[in-house]
Amino acid sequence: MTSPAPAIHIENLSYAYGRSEAVHDLSLTVQPGRCYGLFGRNGAGKTTTMKCLLNLLHPQRGQVRVFGLDPTKHEVEVKRLLSYVPDQVAFYPWMSVRETLDYLASFRPQWNRKIEQELFDRFGLDPAQRTASLSKGQRTQVALIAAICPETDLLVLDEPTSGLDPIVRREFIQTVIGAYQQGIPGKRTILVSTHLITEFEGLIDEFTIIDRGRVVLTQDSDHARQSHQKIRARFAQAPPELDLTTALRVRREGRELELIANGTGLQLMELLRSHNPEELSTESLTLEEIFVATLKS
Amino acid sequence: MLLQVNFKSGLPIYLQLVDQVKAAAASGALRPGEALPSIRPLAEDLRVNRNTVAKAYSELESLGVIETLPGRGCFLKENHSALRKEVRRKLLIVEIDQAIVQAHHLQVPRDEFLELIRQRIDVLDVKRRSNENHKED
Repeated sequence: MTSPAPAIHIENLSYAYGRSEAVHDLSLTVQPGRCYGLFGRNGAGKTTTMKCLLNLLHPQRGQVRVFGLDPTKHEVEVKRLLSYVPDQVAFYPWMSVRETLDYLASFRPQWNRKIEQELFDRFGLDPAQRTASLSKGQRTQVALIAAICPETDLLVLDEPTSGLDPIVRREFIQTVIGAYQQGIPGKRTILVSTHLITEFEGLIDEFTIIDRGRVVLTQDSDHARQSHQKIRARFAQAPPELDLTTALRVRREGRELELIANGTGLQLMELLRSHNPEELSTESLTLEEIFVATLKS
Repeated sequence: MLLQVNFKSGLPIYLQLVDQVKAAAASGALRPGEALPSIRPLAEDLRVNRNTVAKAYSELESLGVIETLPGRGCFLKENHSALRKEVRRKLLIVEIDQAIVQAHHLQVPRDEFLELIRQRIDVLDVKRRSNENHKED
């Protein structure tokens, strides 16, 4: 038996708008059942990458596969397998929330009414309200209901929580965990692009940091937190001249040193310890700190 | 039991959950037969991947710490003495390691340190025996 096709497989993808290259030689693989984060600053190429998955853009170089299918050749099948919450949610303004969901449900082979009701209650939405008068937060909530109810194998979220208040953001993530991940574990794959990393920290199994269209770092989240360390040392006198070139970043202030390391933490700790510091401590970086340290080094 | 996660500890998230339940079981903070939170609400509360919680629970189940009763949830098992021993050893190792580091700082050589431990065990043994004798008197 061959192993199942990855939920997403992107190989050497490049895309340019005119002369400006948005994505350059990008490769990544998302295994079924995983929650994968695509991290980058504004304009890093996250949305362009996602649009290639959805066949909203055609790759100029490289290839994109969704469950083994090429979105440019099998658009309908691919769209049946995934749902999508874009960064800018737009509905027909004359429709009510109820009409909007019925309209969207009409494109789907299945629609879970029980989950729909549960989410209506959770968000406190009024089915009769016209979508034109929804707040940004409510619009995102309706889009999330529309993305979860079809119970697709892949959920694609593009900057879903930017511009929302903290309560709505929190509920959004809890809904993704509770309502979407409730299904068969191996069959609920999530791809989320965001620069608000802290909120998604616990959800993300694996991530890729992209910058100016290029992959900078791909790592498993637990592994990333294990290998990225912040080390603090305080010496009795001004610290000696040490070779700290393996650190990503060094801060000095008087008798104190603060280092950020990726994978070289133990070595650096050993080096610092050999100079008898008064105090030596270490902690792991969060994904957001890893993101900042990676892009600033 | 109220579980939590710390993203700065460097430990895999599922392992943090496993360790907390083990420690609570060993210390008696979680009693045999007591329920653990269900997977979905716990994952939502902690805003942690549902699969991570499920992985922690199945690990605890295969270690014999908890049991799943279909339709009712997960509970701490009545009998988990083997685990208690392992967790207690772990707690002790932390203390021993600290003493070793301290000995290193104070430049007490290895043999002297080991000899000191033997002496202290003897001293405390004598103390314990005399206490027991007093009680009997």
